[in-house]
Amino acid sequence: MNDPLKLYRFFLKLYPARFREEFGTPLEQQFLDEYRDAGGSLARFAVWLRTLRDLAVSIPVEMMREVRQDLSYSIRIYSRKPGVTFLAVAAMALAIGATTGVFSVVNALLLRSLPFRSTERLVQFGNPFNPPDSPASFHAWRSHSDYLEDAGVYNQSEMNLAGAAGSARIKVAETSSNFFGVLGSEPVIGRSFLPGEDGKGKSGVAVIGYGLWQQFFGGDPRALGSTIHLNSSPLTIVGIAPPGLDYPAKTALWTPSVFDLERIPKSGVIWRESFGRLKPALSLARAQSMFDADRLHLSPASFKEDGDVRLIPLREQLAGPVRRSSLVLFGAVSFVLLIACANVANLLLTRVTERRKELALRASLGASRGRLVQQLVTESVLLTGSSAAAGMLVAKWAVRLATAAQPTQSTAQNYTILDWRVLAFAAGLAAITGLAFGVLPAWLIGRLQPAEDLLRTCYDGSNSRVRRLRSALVTLQIASTLVLLGGSIVLGRSFLKLLGTDLGYRTDHVITMNVSLAGTHLDKPELRNQYYHEALDRLRKVPGVEAAGAIDSLPLATNAFMGMDADLDSSYKPAFSCIMWVAPGYFDAMRTSVAAGRDFTARDRQGAARVAIVNEEFARKAGGNQAALGQTVKSLFGKPGTGMTIVGVVHTVHYHADPDDKPLPILFLPLDQNPHPFMTLVARVHGTTEAYLPVMRAAVQSLDPQVPVFDIQTLDQRLEQALARPRFYTTAVVFFGAFGLLLAAIGVYGVASFSVIQRTHELGVRIAVGATAQRVRWMLLRQSLPPVAAGVAVGVLGTFALGQFLQHLLDSAQRVDGLTSAIAGGILATIAAVAVWSATQRIVRLDPMQVLRSE
Amino acid sequence: MPRKEESPVQEFLPLPPAVFHMLLLLSEGERHGYALKREMSKQTNGKLNPGPGVLYGSINKMLEQGLIVESEERPASHLDDERRRYYRITPLGRRVAQAEAVRMRQLVEMAETNLGLPEPA
Repeated sequence: MNDPLKLYRFFLKLYPARFREEFGTPLEQQFLDEYRDAGGSLARFAVWLRTLRDLAVSIPVEMMREVRQDLSYSIRIYSRKPGVTFLAVAAMALAIGATTGVFSVVNALLLRSLPFRSTERLVQFGNPFNPPDSPASFHAWRSHSDYLEDAGVYNQSEMNLAGAAGSARIKVAETSSNFFGVLGSEPVIGRSFLPGEDGKGKSGVAVIGYGLWQQFFGGDPRALGSTIHLNSSPLTIVGIAPPGLDYPAKTALWTPSVFDLERIPKSGVIWRESFGRLKPALSLARAQSMFDADRLHLSPASFKEDGDVRLIPLREQLAGPVRRSSLVLFGAVSFVLLIACANVANLLLTRVTERRKELALRASLGASRGRLVQQLVTESVLLTGSSAAAGMLVAKWAVRLATAAQPTQSTAQNYTILDWRVLAFAAGLAAITGLAFGVLPAWLIGRLQPAEDLLRTCYDGSNSRVRRLRSALVTLQIASTLVLLGGSIVLGRSFLKLLGTDLGYRTDHVITMNVSLAGTHLDKPELRNQYYHEALDRLRKVPGVEAAGAIDSLPLATNAFMGMDADLDSSYKPAFSCIMWVAPGYFDAMRTSVAAGRDFTARDRQGAARVAIVNEEFARKAGGNQAALGQTVKSLFGKPGTGMTIVGVVHTVHYHADPDDKPLPILFLPLDQNPHPFMTLVARVHGTTEAYLPVMRAAVQSLDPQVPVFDIQTLDQRLEQALARPRFYTTAVVFFGAFGLLLAAIGVYGVASFSVIQRTHELGVRIAVGATAQRVRWMLLRQSLPPVAAGVAVGVLGTFALGQFLQHLLDSAQRVDGLTSAIAGGILATIAAVAVWSATQRIVRLDPMQVLRSE
Repeated sequence: MPRKEESPVQEFLPLPPAVFHMLLLLSEGERHGYALKREMSKQTNGKLNPGPGVLYGSINKMLEQGLIVESEERPASHLDDERRRYYRITPLGRRVAQAEAVRMRQLVEMAETNLGLPEPA
């Protein structure tokens, strides 16, 4: 080795800065002494071996010792300013926690693996696409496809499960026999469906979900082979699905009766969905074009009529609308994180500036910049580390909120922070923010500021680089806050519009409950109406009930509608109309006004003249309210000669709590003339609505205990649920906006107040030579405003960009207009001015003589 | 460098062997680091032969604990190497070393009573 000392010096750099500064020279000296004393090359080699062992042992020890010292020093320093420190840590904790919480949602929806084989090849066929609907033609279609490895079909509904262990209402998927094979997820116990089991009369088997197996059978393997009843139809359990598998949409039981729909009696609308597994190495775009060609081949008419039908990656389909909103939230929390980081950066910069004299002195004595950086690394690690630890509590809370506001479609997608990706994200976030906003500015200052310069500037009180950096941080904070505020205003206004929407009915004082006669002994046309009559009579007799009625598709509770092309006897043909079954008293109970004609009455029964009511949207298409009255519905469900006359027109209602919801043309049929197995009973009451819930349930339940009465809620509760998601997003974004504003105000206040302390001498001189305190305050205000103005300018541009982005993501988002930006900019500038003004308050109490004497 | 106030002697015990040896050597007079290491190695037949990092790590710790201080007195200029640092024991260091010796004596006495010790070869 030509220059052993050079190499040894290289190793010395691995020691922590203070130890190196203190003992670097004697260490080198001792190494050289040992090296020289060694003599021969073998002995020198032994010296190197000993030295390497010595370095390996002593470097970590010294490192730990200095970290410990730096930490206790930092804790001492920061505990002297508990308020400022607490705020910076709390802000970072909230920002890191919220970002982590939102990330856990993104992780669950978009990143974490799903319980399927090669999920990336699974696609859902968009609606309306109907694969061939007989078992033979369906299986021929899927097995001869040139782009599909396989495809499955299912429909999902809620059914009553009864077995030896009791009864429950569960979500059931009626599937094709190859359902589990397409997903690549086989039962853990037993078997999946055999080819041909989806044929007529062969589908009496079921695979049950792992959760249902645990709850219903206590995890007993003897569940296999046992018989259960779904809506009274017997099924034999042949398999137990693996844990976590509940596709589609929290299904608890699968049975291969999708082509044998009559086998299990059921109510409601049957909606068939299909999904497929693409062939390996086939791109989505290529598959899409092959699918389009396939659709054209299958049914040229439907291809033309239905327009574009998308192949949707299954993961995207499962993430659903939550995906977009989560991305919006992710954006919002990122801005909060940026603002909080700027606060911490300011805090650390203040510390650097306060320690300028000490640093300058140390620098002039030859202390390294490394020492300063080491201390600042420890400080920022301490700050961001404790913030991240506290942030995990915030994240846990955020995850709980998100779970309540936006439940996922599968338990495999449950939000959790106890996932390696989420924990790594939080740790990475803490490390990156700590380094980027704690160390980098300090390192830059150190690098840009030679020692003698540092020494000079610490006496004349000006440090332009630090000032510029702090101004830049203010600009960053103001711009980020403005974007957040703009976003809050946009989402807040959308939400207010949502709340102010006239739904077309009143949600207060209404009790709703579902009853299903499917599979019960009452599931016969002549018995159904009798049951509903008696149930409604019982409800009406409960003291305090004002009106009671029933409908099969209740607003706020219905997503799928039964519809058809309704032909009237006029020349005008409304295109597609929804059909709903209504019992008299419903419109009254909902306070949906009758715009023309009359409501249904008890006289509209079987045998009387057949009648129908339409809504205004239907009437509008048929030429107006008056024109619609008296017209005859020529055909229904493809059957001509219904002889139904339109006797009333009711106000159009919003089925979803969404002002942009397109109104549906609806044809209402009187229940008595058209028996229906599934109805929601509705009653309007006086007084405290919730108090009626048990009474009403008991009143209906007592009529026939075998008929399931479920989902009993007030209409206000249903509205609350419908608004939960937009309310969650809006509240979150508005909260982040307000919090960002608070942080920005504190940031501006901190910079202004620090500038007053730094310039006390200069300000004292100004006052001593005749300037008034107010004038000096005005001067400081003027000087503080350029970075704020720059922030506002950048922020305004940002809000416009954000507006475009929000509109792209959320259909209901309002446009960002000049007024929104002006309001947000105005609020921010005013708050910044107030912050600066209050920070300069101490100038009023400044005694110039005392200031000058102290210098 | 922050230094602890004088702590009760017992808190320092038991001392690591290298620290005890260095205190004993420094109680004979001031020495620089390398001299400490050489003598320690000689006295223990090479069993205690710390490398520079471990040696100065121990010295650093002893300085922090107030057991030794850096000496401002230097040898005559023709004997001095200005890169070397000289250390001397403090009164606290002396008391700590004494306390460690007493502790060791008690141990030896106990061993003698319980085990019986052979005469040194």
